[in-house]
Amino acid sequence: MATENTTPVIKIRNVTKEFGSFTALSGITLDINPSEVVCIIGPSGSGKSTLLRCMSFLEEYTSGEIEIEGRLLGYKKTAAGMVRDSERNIDDVRRNVGMVFQHFNLWPHMTTLDNVTLGLRLSKRIPDAKARDIGRDALARVGLGDFAGRYPAQLSGGQQQRVGIARALAMGPHVILFDEPTSALDPQLVGEVLDTMKKLAVAGITMVVVTHEMGFAAQVADRVVFMDRGRVVEQGKPSALFTEPQSARLREFLDTWRQRNNLFQTDQARLAAVGDRRTTEA
Amino acid sequence: MFALITDNLPIMLQGAGMTILVSGVAIVLGMPFGLLLCFGVTSSRTWLRRSSRIYQSVWRGTPILVQLLIIYYLLPLIGINVVPVLAAILALTLNTIAFQADIFRGGLQAIPPGQMEAARMVGIRKWAARRHIIVPQIFRLVIPSLVNETISILKNSSLVSVIAVTELMRVSQQIVAATYRPFEIYITAALIYIIINLCLSFAGRVAEQRMAGRA
Repeated sequence: MATENTTPVIKIRNVTKEFGSFTALSGITLDINPSEVVCIIGPSGSGKSTLLRCMSFLEEYTSGEIEIEGRLLGYKKTAAGMVRDSERNIDDVRRNVGMVFQHFNLWPHMTTLDNVTLGLRLSKRIPDAKARDIGRDALARVGLGDFAGRYPAQLSGGQQQRVGIARALAMGPHVILFDEPTSALDPQLVGEVLDTMKKLAVAGITMVVVTHEMGFAAQVADRVVFMDRGRVVEQGKPSALFTEPQSARLREFLDTWRQRNNLFQTDQARLAAVGDRRTTEA
Repeated sequence: MFALITDNLPIMLQGAGMTILVSGVAIVLGMPFGLLLCFGVTSSRTWLRRSSRIYQSVWRGTPILVQLLIIYYLLPLIGINVVPVLAAILALTLNTIAFQADIFRGGLQAIPPGQMEAARMVGIRKWAARRHIIVPQIFRLVIPSLVNETISILKNSSLVSVIAVTELMRVSQQIVAATYRPFEIYITAALIYIIINLCLSFAGRVAEQRMAGRA
């Protein structure tokens, strides 16, 4: 965990987000410290993805402040108040922020390697040969070293998401934001993506992960943040948060999750029983 | 009858060459501007969106023949003297821009917004992302519609005969005036149009298959 005097990678102060008359975020204050893995959990519509999109300024926040490594994101302070910053400055402030999307958002007309190197070539102006080296390296880190020449449509969902991770990694970010990275995947493909993310966590990359994967949060997170109705309700070490929830809402959320999980296990037990009977009959 | 056709075929093919030139230049010139207009029509800036839509309404809402005659007679009035073929190309280009913008808009809307977001998050600026990520995908999606538009412009280019551009239609009319054999000549002209358009459809299908094979 970070010490007192380190600058947070991301510093969020009293951030609100309104969509018309709907308040998606009401007064979020949160720090993401270097090398920290923070998982954000909560029911659908609690604002966790919106918060993540505000951290990358894909969504403009309505009030409050978000700083990336000490620099204000998306706005500049003038005598007249906060005004929207230029695209150039926004790019500059978030140049060390990487993002991994729920639906991967790979570019389908380019090979895996081109997907990973395009940002290097166009925004960092790195020469082709060097960009390809960095790109191959990033693909190797997610276990896809042999897939450089493939097109996204030729890969499984899990592989596509790992390319998405490699694309973020190749830029050498100081923090990677994961927006429900496994929610669009078939259950049997979730594991490979979570394993890849675990490796990054162990390597000390700062990560903010919006997820429904409680197992991942419990195992990998340094801190779990529970959000509900646009607020941070509770946060802390996963060991404490999952075993001794302080708020009624988190208790309820965890209960629902456990029930669903039990249901699944009962189903498996029932299936196993059916299987047994069949084998005995045969 | 065959002598009539074979005698006149060379000059008709020359006319066909002019037809292909005028409509080809219009289509190709129309593409970059059609793309720009497409981004204008879908822009979040109100003034840009409105003026783009007005342009579209004007050029889609009036007959090509009217557009052609206005440009042909207007340009000399404002002191620009151009040969008829340039006026023809200009009119067809300005017309196809409006239609191509709509074709491209259809393609653009089929591309998930996440594609642009992913580009922005690796530092690629909006226009660079459009060039390298959005536009190539638009083209893959709209090839069939673009072939249709090309065929449509090619047929409409017969209208430029009224401003004395010697393309296929004009040449045919001249031959008919001299020989009084409309049936044979116009059938031949029609066949030439069909052959050109069949070639276009074929080329379109080949291009489509090539691009589809990659993803």
